[in-house]
Amino acid sequence: MLLATAVVTYVLAAWMVAPGFYDGFGPQQPYHWTCPPSAAGANTKPSSGHVDIKVIGGVSDANSAFTNDGQIVLGFLPGAFAVAPGQTTISVDIAPLPTCPQPPGIAFVTNVYHATANATLVKPANVVLLYSNLLPAPSAIYLAPDPNGPWTSLGANREAMPYTITTTTKSFGYFGAGYPVTSAASGAVRIGGGSQVLPIVVAVLIGLVLLAGIPLAAMRRRRARGEVEPEDEA
Amino acid sequence: MIAVRNRAHPAVRAVLVGAYILCVEWARTLLATQPRMAIVSLMLGGVALGLVAAGLPADRLGLGTSRFGLRIIGGLALGAVLLLPAAARSGAVPILPAGLAAAAVAISVGEELAFRGALYAALEELGGAPLAIVGSTVLWTAAHALSHPPEFLGAVAAAGLLLALWRWACRDLVAPVIGHVIADLAL
Repeated sequence: MLLATAVVTYVLAAWMVAPGFYDGFGPQQPYHWTCPPSAAGANTKPSSGHVDIKVIGGVSDANSAFTNDGQIVLGFLPGAFAVAPGQTTISVDIAPLPTCPQPPGIAFVTNVYHATANATLVKPANVVLLYSNLLPAPSAIYLAPDPNGPWTSLGANREAMPYTITTTTKSFGYFGAGYPVTSAASGAVRIGGGSQVLPIVVAVLIGLVLLAGIPLAAMRRRRARGEVEPEDEA
Repeated sequence: MIAVRNRAHPAVRAVLVGAYILCVEWARTLLATQPRMAIVSLMLGGVALGLVAAGLPADRLGLGTSRFGLRIIGGLALGAVLLLPAAARSGAVPILPAGLAAAAVAISVGEELAFRGALYAALEELGGAPLAIVGSTVLWTAAHALSHPPEFLGAVAAAGLLLALWRWACRDLVAPVIGHVIADLAL
């Protein structure tokens, strides 16, 4: 009875949050979706970001632009921007696109963000995008001058932190992470694969909790009363 | 640690085991925030947690071999329960990057040996099954406080309670290990 109550309690508690909370494998916070997938729990809209980068001696300072939820970070080296005469600051803005582009040949697994600045890049900037564990891992970051495309793959660095993808860019525009739809998602272990069979299998296995637990528990109680021989535990 | 565990008063032993587990869990969480240390921290954390059970008799840890088939089936079933909320909503569970699979196995086995193994045994010796179940669940939840957003801790606690109750009802750790590994691999 206690076990059954614990099962129900767990299912209810886990149902109230987005899946993927074990042992820190998941992102540090649930992803904020523009277009949440069906598996997402309660969703918070993604945020935008802004930074003013100082120009010192005609050279732009090192700095980063990021959204308040940290889902995209643009990192700039010293002198990353072409500074106009008399310019004292460079403004960089990042905003999530309110729509979710689905260009042919690409499946985005993150929001698409629009990054703009009042100066052009002369040195590559780092781009870091967080992604969720609810969708397959992306294989590249894509850039486009317009939400309708054309989208260009910027690739991805190999040594990104879990649930982040990084690359560099030489220009601003629209950024999103995804993978080519002609290939399987990279680096992912998928269990179930979207099949409707999985919930049925899960339901059957839940029944096995009782089938497996009752004999073990009964055996333990009989042993406690001295009705059976000691267990052969070594 | 092993010497202290074998000779100390049960209360001292339980406090030391609990403090060690908490320190390891929080340290590996902080280490994981450093660049390129995520997998290393999980592997090291798993090994360090597993060490706390070293030297304890298998029967005190619940690692017997009797009714082994039932224990395995129980583990599969516990894994299914842990995955149910995700699977029922989307028809597919979330996806763990393949590079983390070995680390997932290491940390889940280490956590079970530590929380439902050594810590449970120490608390049970000190105050019986109720203290073992509640105490191991509370420490399990506290250990995940740094790595999980607050809204997730209720589900974490419920999972810990379920695994601890299985450990008590069946005097078995094999099934929690299997269920935890399955859940971590999928989630």
